[in-house]
Amino acid sequence: MNKDEILSGFILELRRGTIILCVLSKLKIPTYGYNLISLLSESGITVEANTLYPLLRRLESQGILESTWNTETAKPRKYYSTTETGNEIYIMLKKHWQETVQSMNTILEGNNDES
Amino acid sequence: MMNHDLIERYVYAVTRHLPSKMRSDVEAELKSLISDMLDDRCGDVMPNDKDIKVVLTELGTPLELAGKYSPDNDKALISAPYYIKYKYILKIVLLVTAFGLTLGGLIDIFTETEIAWYIVFTRWIGTLFTGLVMAFGFVTFIFALFERKGIRLDAMDGLEDLPTVPQKQERIPFWDPVAGILVSVIFAVIFLACPQIMGGYFGDSDRQWIAFFNTGAIRSMWYIIIAFAVLGIGREVYKLYEGRYTKRLAILTVITDSMTIVFTFLFFRNKELVNMRFISEMQNLFTGDAEFVSNIFANLSLFFIGVITLALAIDMITTIVKAFKYDI
Repeated sequence: MNKDEILSGFILELRRGTIILCVLSKLKIPTYGYNLISLLSESGITVEANTLYPLLRRLESQGILESTWNTETAKPRKYYSTTETGNEIYIMLKKHWQETVQSMNTILEGNNDES
Repeated sequence: MMNHDLIERYVYAVTRHLPSKMRSDVEAELKSLISDMLDDRCGDVMPNDKDIKVVLTELGTPLELAGKYSPDNDKALISAPYYIKYKYILKIVLLVTAFGLTLGGLIDIFTETEIAWYIVFTRWIGTLFTGLVMAFGFVTFIFALFERKGIRLDAMDGLEDLPTVPQKQERIPFWDPVAGILVSVIFAVIFLACPQIMGGYFGDSDRQWIAFFNTGAIRSMWYIIIAFAVLGIGREVYKLYEGRYTKRLAILTVITDSMTIVFTFLFFRNKELVNMRFISEMQNLFTGDAEFVSNIFANLSLFFIGVITLALAIDMITTIVKAFKYDI
């Protein structure tokens, strides 16, 4: 295994959990999958459609998201939004993330002299 | 004209293995996604075949995508906690199977006089292959069942339940059960394949090989021989698994040993079992002062039942004593 492969594996692991947080943060307003990809990409977060769509479905089956088909437009699309539980979880997850970021920054800044 | 056919084929390939209740929904959502991706890529221009191929390639192969959608995505037939034990047991079972079948094959080559050796050899290769596949399937099935039912292999309810580190004398050394398994296998192979090799030469001038058992009688009781082997191997495999003397092992030993005793009775109850010619030849050898030996041969079946029962009783008692001594 070369250095690049190891690095991309680590990055993948880091990203895995953050995507859920990103998704939850944007879904207070009902949004369809592809629009969510553009919204996130505007903020500099790239999510592949083949990751996001199955994820939305999984979160829905866990009761964190709910969905409705909008058939009024020319193209029928499935809109997802957070449920009440989903929102509560989002708030707690966000708090946890902020604390983690803070601790991580402290740890990483402490190591500045090594870099 | 948009290449709808390719999209249809792709979507079908993704959804066909998904659970039926989510299939149509995933299908509709995928189609709307592909359409959005094409719009994004081509704007108002009609997408051509190449655009569709690029978009579908971006989504990944149908099986990859289906895997991501599938609720079984993270599931495995045999996963982490079971896999280590699975690999260990599988290795031993395959080795023992190969050993038993090779032994059978060798005996076959030496005892088979009417068929050319290479035919016997090919037959052995065939049996070996079938046997190994069956052994593999059997062990895999058992462990897949453990995985599915979530059967715990270790008591891990709390740290207090962790077994103590076995002292030297309470450990069962690796070779002990392995030797036991090999003995069971050798026993089964010889009794099933060539019981006639147990016997002796008799007669002064024209020496003649007389088998100890009646081959026909033994063959008719093949299921008892299999039962002996299964009981013996089962116990030894558990011993190997446990690695130390425990109460569970003692209980299992009592069960398998008692069953073996019952089967021993059934086995030797068969009057046809022992070759009467062998006994009369033996009795001819021991006459006069050696009448005691001669008596043994007259009641040979009883003698065997006695010896085997005694050996099994000693085995049971030792295992129980060790269990109570070490497994507190």
